[in-house]
Amino acid sequence: MPERSRVKYLFVLPGIIWVLLFTIFPLLYSLRLAFFQARLGKSETFIWLENFRRALFDDYRFWNSMGVTVFFVACSVICTVSLGLALALLFNRPLRGQRLFRALFTTPLFTAPIALGYLGLTIFHEQVGAVNTVLFALGVEHPPAWFSSIWPARIAIVLVDIWQWTPFCFLVLLAGLQSLPDEIYEAAWLDTSSSWDIFRYITLPLLTPVLFTVSILRMVEAFKMLDIPFSMTSGGPGAATQTYSFYIYLTGLRNFNAGYASALAYILLFVMVLISLSFFNRLRQIYE
Amino acid sequence: MYQGRSTLVGKIALWFVILIAVSWAIFPFYWAIVTSFKQPGVIMTTPSLFPWLQFTPTLANWSGEFTQRWPEISRALGNSLIVSIGATLIAITLGTMAGYGLARFRFRRWKNKDMTMWFLSQRFLPPMATAIPFFLVMKFLNLLDTQLALILVNATFTMPFAVLTLRDVFKELPKEMEESAWVDGASHFQAFFRIALPLAAPAIAAAAVICFAFSWNEFLFALILTYRNAQPITVVIAGVEHTQGVQFWFVATRLLIAILPPALLALTAQRYIVRGLTFGAVKG
Repeated sequence: MPERSRVKYLFVLPGIIWVLLFTIFPLLYSLRLAFFQARLGKSETFIWLENFRRALFDDYRFWNSMGVTVFFVACSVICTVSLGLALALLFNRPLRGQRLFRALFTTPLFTAPIALGYLGLTIFHEQVGAVNTVLFALGVEHPPAWFSSIWPARIAIVLVDIWQWTPFCFLVLLAGLQSLPDEIYEAAWLDTSSSWDIFRYITLPLLTPVLFTVSILRMVEAFKMLDIPFSMTSGGPGAATQTYSFYIYLTGLRNFNAGYASALAYILLFVMVLISLSFFNRLRQIYE
Repeated sequence: MYQGRSTLVGKIALWFVILIAVSWAIFPFYWAIVTSFKQPGVIMTTPSLFPWLQFTPTLANWSGEFTQRWPEISRALGNSLIVSIGATLIAITLGTMAGYGLARFRFRRWKNKDMTMWFLSQRFLPPMATAIPFFLVMKFLNLLDTQLALILVNATFTMPFAVLTLRDVFKELPKEMEESAWVDGASHFQAFFRIALPLAAPAIAAAAVICFAFSWNEFLFALILTYRNAQPITVVIAGVEHTQGVQFWFVATRLLIAILPPALLALTAQRYIVRGLTFGAVKG
């Protein structure tokens, strides 16, 4: 059919052109900027790879923010995935009110992270915050001053992030569990009565692809983390909670060092590509 | 599947754990609501968790929000609403068409898989990487501090999500009805509008809700691209602490105002959330 060959492009092209226009051009532009000494509104000088050299070998703030981010990513991914898995196993049974629980666990996902950060500010407040109120009540005389020391501040941020994203892992892993075939379990229960064995030798292997997907998606999201530290600690105390995205923001849009910030952004992009490659390979098969 | 061997102790333990999980999920909301009814004086002096038992609730914070601070809040809410709806309309219109195209037709020069992967890769793009060029482009186009700038940005970042979710949905719809319509002489657009679109309507609505929530909650670009007139609610709440330290009472009221619309709306999209947020890798 002649019509067929043309019309199909009308369906996909508008979307493709739109996204191309608004992402490829900005990306190309910032790739160019990455090789320049460029301050917003001033002249630009081409400096080859100097920005990248400076970041990797000559900028302790780069490594600091990278370290902070990697710490957040590791904590967040490990905690949200394992908590989510525990909850999913718990809820994967006939339970009254399961729909209600699922609804309840959906709301944190759609809570604006920036708002959550400010809420965290009041929850972890040293004198009158919710957490220390409880700690006082439990008889702790000197609960942590969450925002003025390094590790408590980091832990507070991780906790807020865990609160927001555990539901995501829970919902996805529950869906994964519920799609596992019943027959295997019926057969397995004939051989053993240990639910640990069932989990270890049946559930876990079958669930691995879903666990993998969840972990990668969490990792990618966590690497972009900006809103929560921005509102909760402003990256402080010092730069103890300054995530990598936050550092790019400060470099490019507070100090207007557009060239250097673009180079930093490209390093982040590179890390993201490395992380997501394996995920992409998996999805390539699914998208057949 | 779970093999039920429930003893009374087991049941009690189960419900105890569920209770903890539920309180953990609800607690921040509870805290925000409680704080919003505290008197400003009380907040900073006495730590408290329970209204009536520990303090007398007051409506003062809420009435302040709806009277003297209302002009600022309502403008921000209006901006958020216009930006989110505008972005969602664009993302869903183009996303539905592209999703349908990818699900129904075979492309040869660039394979379907490649185009789908390309849309997916957009979701992995760190927004920070495009923030500076976007700022410069909007400045050049004189679009800084306009709702249009935020609509364009949010449409761009939510569209891949719409494409991937809806491609998945159309793939699962039976193809036969459209094929027989083609045989009867209907054009591809007629078949799309009369047959596929109504069948996919619930899924499209759910995808729209999620796009709306993403746009509403977006902060980075809103912060960079607006400074006064077009500020959405996420940026306005970010302004609360700068004046005189953290003012708990209107932090609480404002946060609730900002949080509730997308969070409540998202409940209507329940069925598609897992599939949507994993880009079809896990069926919910």
